[in-house]
Amino acid sequence: MKLKRNKLLVEPPAGASSDIAFILIVFFLVCASVEPEQGRSQNLPNDDKEQKEQAEVPEVKLMPNVVLLDGVEMPKSKLQNKLTQRFAQKEGKANRIVSLNADPAVRYDRWIEYTSMIETAGGTITLQIEETKTKVVD
Amino acid sequence: MKIPKRSFEASVPSMAMGDIAFLLLIFFVILARAQDDSHLKWQPAKAEELEQAKHHKASVVIDVGNKYYLNGKELENPSQKGKLDKKDLTNKLKVLLGEAKEDRTVLLKVHKETKAERFEPVIEAISAAGAEIHHVLEQENN
Repeated sequence: MKLKRNKLLVEPPAGASSDIAFILIVFFLVCASVEPEQGRSQNLPNDDKEQKEQAEVPEVKLMPNVVLLDGVEMPKSKLQNKLTQRFAQKEGKANRIVSLNADPAVRYDRWIEYTSMIETAGGTITLQIEETKTKVVD
Repeated sequence: MKIPKRSFEASVPSMAMGDIAFLLLIFFVILARAQDDSHLKWQPAKAEELEQAKHHKASVVIDVGNKYYLNGKELENPSQKGKLDKKDLTNKLKVLLGEAKEDRTVLLKVHKETKAERFEPVIEAISAAGAEIHHVLEQENN
């Protein structure tokens, strides 16, 4: 007597393949679109009203190779401590304003490094921008 | 004699659903990419103690070629080529941010080698629009 063979191979349901494909597309899209947007927030005062209230505003002059605090050259390691000491007695953002004057040739990574230091010391940054205008005289 | 009513069965073909969903997805992806700036080339500066960006309505990019972009679209200045029109950027940001007092964050993505003469006017323009700047940076590993 011959035994009948059972059919063991079963095809997967074709109706579900489009759903699987759709879910895979969504998965890859989400993976591709998630961009890290970590960083640092900064709220600069948009007028100089606050600056006028503070009698003595420390001025940081940032140049490509050196940094000056009120005209005196300051090593990178000392700047934060100096500013922290200055702000120790002062309360409120309006009394902790630092005027930052960056040389036009200063790179963004250097600017970020020093503004981070000033903000860690408790300072609020205001930018001092020198604008150059060229006039052609006949 | 009564004629029996014919019953018609009308059903939506379910096999087409996958294709419809796929086309809809492509449509929305293309729509979203119009405001996207992921195609722009720039390298972030490194810093410590970073925080995640809040909900933002606008992003400004300065790429490796020193060009300015607002929400992925290049900002042009017909009067002075290559220079930023600060007033124009401020006005565009004011329109995008609206009157709301909250959610006024603007993402700022600046290539790390960009000079101050290029990025400071952008910072000034964003501040003039009354927005909070979020510098997009890379975590520095010590």
